[in-house]
Amino acid sequence: MLWHIVKRELFEQVSSLRFVLAMLLTAFLMIVNALGHIDEYRTQQPEYGQKVAESLTELEQRSSNLYNFVLHGPGGLHKMPSPLSFCAHGSENNLPKLVSGSYSGWNWGGRSGLWRLKYDTFPPITATDIFPIFLNIDWTLIISSVLSFLALVFTFDTISGEVERGTLRLTLSNSVARRTVLTSKFLSSLISLGVVLLSGVLINLLLLHISGTLQLNTQEWSRLTAIFVVGMMYISIFIVLGLFVSTLTNNASTSLVILLLIWVIWVILVPSTVGTIMSGVNIPSIERGPSPVFFARNGLLERYEEQGLGDEAPTRTRPPSPATLLWAEFMDEEVQEWKRLNKEFLNAQIYQIQVARDFNRVSPTAILQYAIESLAGTGFQRHLNFMRNAENYETEFNAFLISADRADPDSLHVPFVREGMSTKPVPFESIPKFQDKVHLEDAFKEAIPNAMLLFLFFVVLFAGTHLSFQRKEI
Amino acid sequence: MIWTLILREILTTLMTFRFFVTVITCMSLVIAGTIVLTDNYERRLASYNADFQTHQEKTFIAHTYSSFKADIDRAPNPLSVFNQGLDKRAKNSIRIRIGKVPYLWDKVYQYQSTGLKNPFRHLLADIDLVSIFQILLSLLALVFAYDAIAGARENGTLRLTLSNPVGRGVVILGKYVGAIVCLSLPLLISFLFALLLQLQSSAIQYTADDLFRIGGILLTTIVYISTFYLIGLLISSMIHRPATSLIVSMFIWVVLILLYPNVSLFLVNRFIDTEEKIEQTNREIEQISERFYRDIQKLRDPFESPSLLKDSISSGGSRGYLHLSKNFTYIPDESEPNIPTVKAYFQDLTSLHIRAAETIWRARKNAFAETYIRKSRIARNALRFSPTGLYHLSTEAWAGTDLFRMEHFFKTGRQYRQRVLDYFHDKKAFSSRQWFASDKGEVRWNDAPRFVYNPPDVFEDASSRALPDLFLLFLLNLVLFMATFMIFSRLEV
Repeated sequence: MLWHIVKRELFEQVSSLRFVLAMLLTAFLMIVNALGHIDEYRTQQPEYGQKVAESLTELEQRSSNLYNFVLHGPGGLHKMPSPLSFCAHGSENNLPKLVSGSYSGWNWGGRSGLWRLKYDTFPPITATDIFPIFLNIDWTLIISSVLSFLALVFTFDTISGEVERGTLRLTLSNSVARRTVLTSKFLSSLISLGVVLLSGVLINLLLLHISGTLQLNTQEWSRLTAIFVVGMMYISIFIVLGLFVSTLTNNASTSLVILLLIWVIWVILVPSTVGTIMSGVNIPSIERGPSPVFFARNGLLERYEEQGLGDEAPTRTRPPSPATLLWAEFMDEEVQEWKRLNKEFLNAQIYQIQVARDFNRVSPTAILQYAIESLAGTGFQRHLNFMRNAENYETEFNAFLISADRADPDSLHVPFVREGMSTKPVPFESIPKFQDKVHLEDAFKEAIPNAMLLFLFFVVLFAGTHLSFQRKEI
Repeated sequence: MIWTLILREILTTLMTFRFFVTVITCMSLVIAGTIVLTDNYERRLASYNADFQTHQEKTFIAHTYSSFKADIDRAPNPLSVFNQGLDKRAKNSIRIRIGKVPYLWDKVYQYQSTGLKNPFRHLLADIDLVSIFQILLSLLALVFAYDAIAGARENGTLRLTLSNPVGRGVVILGKYVGAIVCLSLPLLISFLFALLLQLQSSAIQYTADDLFRIGGILLTTIVYISTFYLIGLLISSMIHRPATSLIVSMFIWVVLILLYPNVSLFLVNRFIDTEEKIEQTNREIEQISERFYRDIQKLRDPFESPSLLKDSISSGGSRGYLHLSKNFTYIPDESEPNIPTVKAYFQDLTSLHIRAAETIWRARKNAFAETYIRKSRIARNALRFSPTGLYHLSTEAWAGTDLFRMEHFFKTGRQYRQRVLDYFHDKKAFSSRQWFASDKGEVRWNDAPRFVYNPPDVFEDASSRALPDLFLLFLLNLVLFMATFMIFSRLEV
């Protein structure tokens, strides 16, 4: 019986004007997205390759002297662009494309600090920013605003319209349970919107495939599938919302008006206001005070000057002189202190954004966006993973410096003073190279809670619809 | 008769559920938006004040003329609460040097420019009041309009109305005026709330000029709402079933609000290439710089006493970044006879510097006009094909947060630099000892020109950009009204 009703509903829906318009709209946007991505892909991938190659050349140049690495570090560590950026652009333009492992930026008593990782390499404001702001046409936008809108347009009159026309009474006069009617209405809308989305997605992937920009491995295909599934979950929330409001009202146009207002608020306005308000209210805002990072050295210097730092220069004498050891201690403590403060500052920054994101999750649109971003490997969460990769590499690189120093018999083995360390060339092959990696587990670990939250929205709304439909007088 | 119709229209609308929901939604969103944006403005203002303070302290402390350096600032625009435009994103501080003409081209690092301690906040979207109106009020206008004719026709009230001795023109005009009055109410109420909230903040103080601008934004918003109401009315008179008319209206709304602006900007941004011209200009600038250094090299040769002039050229090389500050605090007596030669040298050097800076500036200006400005202009023209775009551009001009304003700031910066150069000229600074040495007394800056940024007044902004776009929007209204009227007068009731 269920399938009988589903089939009938589906037939009706597919032959309607809105289905045709929905197909055209989605297909058009998917084509625009594909064309844009083909163009972007042609510049993005070679650019990344070139940047990595440049970093390697730099690394090779520095390898003529081990101490160069101690002062200047390994150079830029580049973030690998995601091949799935057409699914979610993730505001990558506003995020750093690299972290730089570079010169400390201070020089005292003729000595410079040790190399460190700098995370604040945000892209500068340039002349390109005079271009008007627009939303990127990616899968996230297409699903989150267009398909959710279509879901409402498909469902706003399913119950109230039938009540108006009197067909619902006719259906229920047969021996059909109300829940069967409701479920079949839900299923038929889900199937027809699934067809709309799937055909859009296929057109998109086909275009990308023909142009040769779609070179995905199995891992990325599984990501794409997961994105589709999450997208469908999101769409079903809006289908149920449509059904819900439709059972509450007896007039189709009233139900559409209410739905549209909910849609505008939930989809468009909440994600751009709630989080932003909450990130500024009640949270100790780091924007009020100066960044503590710049003061790292000053306090330390005073303390070490009392101990006699700067009175005597480090020497290459064996065993190491007290001055050499004191300098080594100071340099190490300075970099550790700097890292600690920097980390604190960075964590405060991240915390502020995470609070905003948590509050934005009252809107399923934000949830969908975060889920797709983490699956596509773009956006904030991916950036955090990238920074973690860079941090691991930092440890690895420093360990390498010490082991390379050990290998030199002429060295005093007092890291990290110039006089206490090897200044010989380092074989280029032995240097660890940074390779940004994306892990499937990370992506799913992020996406699953979001997907569960979407499911929760769905369950609550579905239960509400069920209840109100059971009680509805027809 | 028409007044009766208008009054009836207003009364029936005011009593509806949708009107109530509208007012509540609009108000709550505007309040939320105003809080976010006012907070953001206050933050930017605080950072501007701090910068301004330090820049003021550092400007006239140079010991020699050649080390003159000034940073000038643009205060954030309080009207960015209404339309952010470029106000938040564009540079708000310019460094004025003798050897460089400032231009929009220069890169700024976000830490320096926006006072933002957390650049990650760029990931959080914020929405200005104009965008809220743009989305919400257009939707409401369509919701009010879709059954104005189709609905009245379906339930027979239209036939009843027309059975009285009223012209069809009067009927449609009555409906239109009534609806616009009703739609303006939520707008006015939320506008009032937004203003009240802003006045609560001590940071925002509106001048008479600002109030004119706010009035302009309000007027443009009403014309914008009217456009969407007329679109709805046109659809309603063409399609007889209210339900179909609603669906068609909604599709058109999605296209006009969401799709057209974003798709057109996306395409313009992707497919208009600027890279090549930029590369070419950078090469050109490189060549100018090289030529400049060769010229300097030639200048250096004739000197007999290189010791005094050692390191006197400490300029970093490429991309037009040239500077020539010099400060000798001690000149030995035996170098004294060289002073006239040195003066002549610095005079020549400075004039070369200034000439090179100006040539570079001209190259950049041209490249800029052909690339970023052109691209941006194409994008803005593409936006003009939709009422949403017209509304956005017009309010941006009213608020003074558009590209023109940013260029204006840089233009005044350049004029200030010119005024400083003229001042140097009057003081004969270029050929003076104090150009390069402070051993016989430092420069006094008492009567040096100071910089104050005066943004153009509302009439200038309005007449050149805001009003033309508003006029286009108004024209669209007229066309839509005529079309609706024509269809309606032929409608069989």
